[in-house]
Amino acid sequence: MAVYKKSYRPYDGGLTSSWTRFLVIPRFAFEDMRKSRFLTIFFLASFIYPLICSLIIYVQHNSSALNLLGVQGANRLISINATFFLNFLGWQSMLALFLASFTGPGQVSPDLANNALALYLARPFSRVEYVLGKMWILIVLMSCMTWVPGLLLFLLQAYLEDGWTWMTANSSLAVGLFFGSWVWIVILALLALALSAWVKWKPAAGALMFGVFFVAAGFGVAVNGVQRTRWGHLFNISALIGSVWVHLFGADPAVNNGGAFFRMPAGEELPLWCCWSALGLLCLACLYMLARKIRGAEVVR
Amino acid sequence: MNLWMRQVGGVLRLELKKTLVSRRGWWVYLLALGPVGLSLMHWLMGMSATFGHHSIGEDSLVFAGLFHFYYLRLGIFFGCVGIFSNLFRGEMLEKTLHYYYMTPLRRELLVAGKYLAGLITAILLFAGSTALSFLMLGRHFGAAYTDYILHGPGLSQFGSYVLVATLACVGYGAVFLMSGLFFRNPMIPAAVVMVWENLNPFLPSVLKKVSVIFYLKNLCPVEIPIPPPFNVMVVDADPTPFWIAVPGLLALSIILLIYAGLSARQTEINYGE
Amino acid sequence: MSAAGNGAMSATGNAVPQEKMITFANVSRFYGEVLGINNVSLAIPPGVTSLVGPNGSGKTTLMNLMAGLIHPSQGEIRVLGIPPEEPERLCRAVGYCAQFDAYPKGLTGYQFIYSFLRMFGFSHEDSDRRTLESLETVGLVEARNRPVAAYSKGMRQRAKLAQATAHDPQVVILDEPLNGLDPLARAEAIALFEKWGKMGRHVIVSSHILHEVDRISDQVILLSQGYVVAEGQIQSVRGEVKDQPMQILVRCDQPGQLAAQLFAQGKVVECKLHTDGRGLLLRTTDADAFYLLLNRIVMDTGLVIESIAPADDDVNSVYQYLIGGEGATI
Repeated sequence: MAVYKKSYRPYDGGLTSSWTRFLVIPRFAFEDMRKSRFLTIFFLASFIYPLICSLIIYVQHNSSALNLLGVQGANRLISINATFFLNFLGWQSMLALFLASFTGPGQVSPDLANNALALYLARPFSRVEYVLGKMWILIVLMSCMTWVPGLLLFLLQAYLEDGWTWMTANSSLAVGLFFGSWVWIVILALLALALSAWVKWKPAAGALMFGVFFVAAGFGVAVNGVQRTRWGHLFNISALIGSVWVHLFGADPAVNNGGAFFRMPAGEELPLWCCWSALGLLCLACLYMLARKIRGAEVVR
Repeated sequence: MNLWMRQVGGVLRLELKKTLVSRRGWWVYLLALGPVGLSLMHWLMGMSATFGHHSIGEDSLVFAGLFHFYYLRLGIFFGCVGIFSNLFRGEMLEKTLHYYYMTPLRRELLVAGKYLAGLITAILLFAGSTALSFLMLGRHFGAAYTDYILHGPGLSQFGSYVLVATLACVGYGAVFLMSGLFFRNPMIPAAVVMVWENLNPFLPSVLKKVSVIFYLKNLCPVEIPIPPPFNVMVVDADPTPFWIAVPGLLALSIILLIYAGLSARQTEINYGE
Repeated sequence: MSAAGNGAMSATGNAVPQEKMITFANVSRFYGEVLGINNVSLAIPPGVTSLVGPNGSGKTTLMNLMAGLIHPSQGEIRVLGIPPEEPERLCRAVGYCAQFDAYPKGLTGYQFIYSFLRMFGFSHEDSDRRTLESLETVGLVEARNRPVAAYSKGMRQRAKLAQATAHDPQVVILDEPLNGLDPLARAEAIALFEKWGKMGRHVIVSSHILHEVDRISDQVILLSQGYVVAEGQIQSVRGEVKDQPMQILVRCDQPGQLAAQLFAQGKVVECKLHTDGRGLLLRTTDADAFYLLLNRIVMDTGLVIESIAPADDDVNSVYQYLIGGEGATI
């Protein structure tokens, strides 16, 4: 005992601040992700559409470029408005769903399958920090795909249009891009982590992620058919988020019906508060699932 | 009883315990029981005076839509992916397949036993769910619906739907059991099969026949057309007669199972460590 | 134990026919470009045989090959004369306890053993009896109706042992069977292995706990990087390691005088006086010559010898001499 007393020195160096400690997890996770060639290519490919959009915005404001292409007057056919940005967000959000389905399930399931959770939680590291750390990876990646290029496009459009005047007149587009993306990102990240925590098999968790979107939407259509109602759309997460986006963009629901892949069928729109409530419930369910599974020890009775 | 029958019985008993009563399979139960809950709700709401009036014919069309677009394309498909892919690949991931491989049981019989267990589970869930949904959907019509079933086309429709659901479990079960044996990630073949099956209406008639859904659709009593705008791309093909569709599908499943059984003999237990 | 095809002797020294042995003839196994084991030829007689070697040396590969769970890239294996390609026959003779702490989900200890016995084709009564017997052997009768997942690690390990041996196999292959067992359970397990070995079964054990392996082994197979480095009874193996002087502990009344005599004759390279002053730990390169010399010294001087015992003919020492130098870890 005396030997240990003499030789043992507890670590007395500086500690990472408790506020930023959760960032330790993404530091290594990004390294892992970079090793996957498929994910890297997919991530880079997700910037193709924003590039096309930026070209469209540029061309729309550059009549000499249009003249060069021999399509004078084409700028009148292109409108940089709520529909343009909603479609941009819709397309990018679809790609974000794929990314979350590929990367999300691999976040928690290996830790649970290998009983590694105890290693994290044995440190001065809480369950919330663990979940935040794991979510951070998805949040950063999906942000890079959605609101970051969205706002850059918004700024480009403002710069090429009337600058500050256009920005203030269309501020709802920026608000929609930013908050609409965040709602989607939070839902996807929570869902991916919750499924990853419940289904320890990575491919199954990924498939279930798609299942939640497509099978639930299919079930919603079945509900509508059988019950002669429109409330079945409550199961259709993408249609719900589409309705929320239209509101956040300050667009006219009759004209702008969600983004690509996120349309609520015309005439079957649900009240906005129902869409928000359903999405809120989904998030709560995910949080409950995470709270049940993210534990240092699993008790089997 | 023969030794091999006792052995298959042993596999069946264990697999049923694991597959049929499994907390991990909650989502498969949800897939199967969702439409039952929906039909039950329809029955209960149909009995209230405030529920809109519609005919048995309309409900029968609604059920056909539910069966085509939910059961066949989503519920049974994903259910079979979950049940059958897990039979071998799941054991591999759990590192428990060697327990089976260390029994003096022919590998072909192990495949057969596991398949049978998966099939019983899938049929109980999905054919049972189809039957319950069908019976409950028009229940609010009371005696008229009983008459529709017993003296009208109801019974034959009921039988056809249950048969198609059963055959779907047989066909998709064989496909996904095999994919579970061959692929480390059975979700990839599942996605390919799903795309192929959903593209079926738009494929040339020769290619249409290389799918499970083509035979199943022909056996359904009520046809549901593809909605616009996709209907313009549909390629028509002669329906396959019953006496070819059923034995054809069974034969295809048996061939896949035999191949899976022979492959299981060569399968090595290597958990990747 | 000897190279395949040459016949073998059991621990008791009797010749063992081929159909009672586990034989490997020029067996190699590659995982893609990675070597599992290379050109292994063995004939393992009944008794307790330990596989010893660092991680990645090929122990589990060798066991999996015996059990028919993987197939050799080349060469031929026979377990009691049965080729592993016939699992219907092989699995009646072989019980395998894998290193993984994995079990079919949702089963109790009883169901875990009973379910797989049914797959052997045993009737309900027979399976029930065998299940209870095997549970009793490992001391899990009381806990038989609790889920295996709720067992402690030691209990799960014992349940695995019970499952592997419930069908009364002639060959028991145990990959790291002592992992997770507390000292008492470990002693019981070791006693069980010894009992099985004495009953004439093949008990193939891989373990990292060398001193315990040493206690129970009738023979050892030392593996390193996919090659069999040494095989046979541990004393014989030690005798073959000529480049390492043998350590011998001699307990006597006048160790100082004995040391002087031995050095005078040049038959020892090192001598250490035992701490209690009544023994001598010495190292010699020629053990036979040393024993002859010792006899003569005793006769000449009237030295009283209490005991003579080799101090490094255990698995641990042999392991250090043959494998430890390669920087391997266990």
